[in-house]
Amino acid sequence: MSTDPTDPNAPRVGVDEWVASHEQRRTRRTGVLGVVERELERLPRPAFYLGFGIAAALLPAVSSNGYVIDVGLNTLLYMLLALGLNITVGYAGLLDLGYVAFYGFAAYGYAMLASPKFGLHWDTLAVIPLVVIATALLGLLVALPSRRLIGDYLAIVTLFFGELFATVYQNGEHVSLLGQFGAHDVTGGPNGIPNIDQFNVFGARIGALNYTAYYYVALIFFMVLLFAMYLVDRSRTGRAWKSLREDPLAAELMGMPVNRLKLIAFACGAGIAGLAGTIFAAANTAVFASEFDFTSGLLIIVYAMLILGGAGSLGGVIIGALVVNVSLEVLRSPGHATWVFYVLIAGTLVARMRPWRWLAVVVAGTAGFGFAVHAIVAAAWPRGVHGQAPIGGALGTGLRHWVVLPSNPMTIGNVAFICLVLTVLALTLLHGWVQRLAMIPTLYLAAFVWENRLAVEPSVTRLILVGVILIVLMNARPQGLLGTSRVEIV
Amino acid sequence: MPEKLLELRGISKSFGGLQVISELDLHVDEGEIVSVIGPNGAGKTTLFNLVTGLYAPDAGDMLFAGETLLGLEPHQITARGIARTFQTLRLFLNMTVKENVMAAAYSHTRAGILRSVLRTPGMRREAREIERLAEEKLSFFGQRLMGYRWDQPAFSLSYANRRRLEIARATATNARLLLLDEPAAGMNPVETHEIAELIGRLREEGGYTILVIEHDMHVVEGISDRVVALDHGVKIAEGSFDEVATDPRVVEAYLGTKAAATK
Amino acid sequence: MNWNLFVTELVAGISHGSVYALIALGYSMVYGILKLLNFAHGDVYMVGSFIGYGILGVFGGATNLSIPVWALLTLMFLGAMLGGGLLGVMIERFAYRRLRNAPRIAPLITALGVSFFLENAAQLVLGAQYQSYNSFSWKSPIAFDHFSLPAGTVISYAEVIIIVGTIVLVVALTLFVQRTQLGKAMRATSFDREAAAMMGIDVDRVIVATFFIGSALAGAAGVFNGIEYQQVWPYMGFTAGLYAFIAAVVGGIGNLPGAVLGGLTIGLAQSFSIGYISSTFSDAVVFAILIAVMIVRPSGLLGRAAVSKV
Repeated sequence: MSTDPTDPNAPRVGVDEWVASHEQRRTRRTGVLGVVERELERLPRPAFYLGFGIAAALLPAVSSNGYVIDVGLNTLLYMLLALGLNITVGYAGLLDLGYVAFYGFAAYGYAMLASPKFGLHWDTLAVIPLVVIATALLGLLVALPSRRLIGDYLAIVTLFFGELFATVYQNGEHVSLLGQFGAHDVTGGPNGIPNIDQFNVFGARIGALNYTAYYYVALIFFMVLLFAMYLVDRSRTGRAWKSLREDPLAAELMGMPVNRLKLIAFACGAGIAGLAGTIFAAANTAVFASEFDFTSGLLIIVYAMLILGGAGSLGGVIIGALVVNVSLEVLRSPGHATWVFYVLIAGTLVARMRPWRWLAVVVAGTAGFGFAVHAIVAAAWPRGVHGQAPIGGALGTGLRHWVVLPSNPMTIGNVAFICLVLTVLALTLLHGWVQRLAMIPTLYLAAFVWENRLAVEPSVTRLILVGVILIVLMNARPQGLLGTSRVEIV
Repeated sequence: MPEKLLELRGISKSFGGLQVISELDLHVDEGEIVSVIGPNGAGKTTLFNLVTGLYAPDAGDMLFAGETLLGLEPHQITARGIARTFQTLRLFLNMTVKENVMAAAYSHTRAGILRSVLRTPGMRREAREIERLAEEKLSFFGQRLMGYRWDQPAFSLSYANRRRLEIARATATNARLLLLDEPAAGMNPVETHEIAELIGRLREEGGYTILVIEHDMHVVEGISDRVVALDHGVKIAEGSFDEVATDPRVVEAYLGTKAAATK
Repeated sequence: MNWNLFVTELVAGISHGSVYALIALGYSMVYGILKLLNFAHGDVYMVGSFIGYGILGVFGGATNLSIPVWALLTLMFLGAMLGGGLLGVMIERFAYRRLRNAPRIAPLITALGVSFFLENAAQLVLGAQYQSYNSFSWKSPIAFDHFSLPAGTVISYAEVIIIVGTIVLVVALTLFVQRTQLGKAMRATSFDREAAAMMGIDVDRVIVATFFIGSALAGAAGVFNGIEYQQVWPYMGFTAGLYAFIAAVVGGIGNLPGAVLGGLTIGLAQSFSIGYISSTFSDAVVFAILIAVMIVRPSGLLGRAAVSKV
């Protein structure tokens, strides 16, 4: 934020009145998001967490739909993961790119100690602490070599560790030490470990595939850890973590043992991932190494949650995981996804486009442009409009008359996708009315690509969107939804 | 003779082939204010970095209250009782003013993660103690860092207040010796005057021993018990302000006649 | 000792290592100037490999190569280097430029996002399956044929092309960095960006050039990989990029000869551990080298130790 330098009466940057008016100069968002943000700020944080906990606890009562509970359990596991990553990235500022490997290590750890694989069927009360501590220690071991170095090196070591974990577990069906001791099947290789035991405590056990029970287990763990983190946030260690994220050198010189604090943060994050891993293994009754490698997208998704919510913010963990996971679920079905796609575009236009007459011009222009293109294509190349719309219903019927749907959309859709990426990038370089006019064909192109390619392949589209979220958020609002924008004296 | 709180014996440091500090002897007595002056590149900040453990000296010994500082990590040195400020401010900008000061209490407090989560009585007592300490240290600066400012993020402070907050943060480590790196840099004359006064009060009321790097000769003259002049890592003069200011070698170093002649 | 196995692994290691070295050069150049780990760099290599594959398809058809092999190879390299270079420049312009003064973690996470976007966009457009350079039958024998050494060791021409091609590119890059105005500006910028800007160097232009050259090298590496190992697929950039990363760190990140040395080290280590230990553990061997270098010589084999300024 800068004050107008030509105005002689404006307070000088850095001088007391300027500082006193700081609150008013903070960038305030307008519209619905702004209201939500202000309300959330006013609410005491424990009340917000408690409200979330109660709402989440009521979910199984409201909906007995197995799918909803399944998604809920998944979201809670993501929240646990994001909570752990929040310590490593959000507090200590360490880029841990092997984070998912800790999750996988713990899932396999639980599977090995509680399944027919090695004939071990240990009590859950023994396995969980053991696995969590082992995972935390593994985290310590991975972080140790890079403890003196800047975060970049840690990023490389952890990234490679994550990849190493996946390949070793993927190929762990005949492990031999330098040709000695025969070939042992340790991880089940690509077949993973099936038939994992349910959680059982002193003989009482959760029934097979009882997602509701695991949902509550995950919720209880999450709420306990959330409040624990809330307390840590305001404690001596929490302050030290935040200090070293701000400026590690200053933190060290103010008496904080930076290396030890970093290692503790890293191990705590890994430990929480470990806890989530045990629940994951028991709830799914099988683990496969490929679920934890980079191509699965798990790592990126957890990062997207953390970043969207705002790294370092506990409420952000909840909101980020909720928004990202629910969106990803919605995107699974082309019907829902198409609705979301158009609502989102319309919403963004309404929220960002000013003045209103330009909004009208762009919307009307896009509609007209679409019908014109559709008419021309229908006349010149009839096969160009005979394809299948990905969804039915009123929206589908309406779109059929607007969007060009070639009967074989593969190649032209791919070309259009690349064009769309280039056009959107070019849009960011334009200004004023040129940019607004250019939006008309871009929007139509987006609809075309959506109908012909993206909605058809939801599994890839989801991951593409996660990538886009990370790039756009980092460039537009790096502090996330709940982080406060920072006013800096230059 | 007063006790030597900090004593440097024959300290040398070079980077690559460049000798930044050579054979430096320096001491600061308990309760003394010593100023280090010298042209840019004289090795003043390097001296601070050596004392605080950021660099290890190539030769020589450093004693604090009679014990060597060699081989200690920077945070261990701070825990022994040496705290510093930075020439280029290094506050924890996104934390509140009070948190900045509270964070510096780390080395002399104990509660770990587990005790913080369980909220044991000892931990609560300690938390109250840290809070009280932070408020006390901030109140030393009068109205400047009081009231609504406590809960504002450090980045909202003006430049002069940031310098003050850095000093407050350094005192919260319970240091006996403060190393102030150009505390008056970038301040206007009124603020500079205030800082000079403040450094005096830090000794009188706070009981700190102070080693300060300063370019503003009015400040140096006003506060120093003793002045040490460095040039190219060598001590060229030491004594009262008047003695050092009139020393021909100091005048030469500042006016650059010697440098011009040798180059 | 089995001499044949040794020579085979040695040549394979050097050719693999050459590919890593070319990718690592791009990492190192960008890191030297922006202090940014460009995670998307491996995906530029993937795109380069696919561009080569596309050009092969255009001129090869299924069975008929319509132009001589040397012309085809030239076109493949030009296309992949140009395409890779432009992609790199676009990534810099649209994803990283606004984040130059942001906290360190912001561009890193953006880079992850770019990498993920490219991989999945490629999967959308090109399909998730492996494609093979070999699915085109080559009329001329040069690319996939081989010759034998007197001892009976078989060496393919593709390996020769990779090794010679890498040497040519590295020499060209060295001359460029040492001799040209722009190359000198690059070195100055990587030494101290702000000072370089004050000395009148157009830093933006230098950064764009760095991305272009680094990414063009990655594009060339993609084609090299295609001719030798033949398979291309959307996620190939991740693994290769990772090894190249490690190569850059082992050699000393930001140091160009270091990147080449690191690439060869990693390529040889991988090749020999596959040949003599087991393919399962080749990753572990590479990891061990990385950890060992970080403990013993954190600044890399050829890197200089950094002095932190306070």
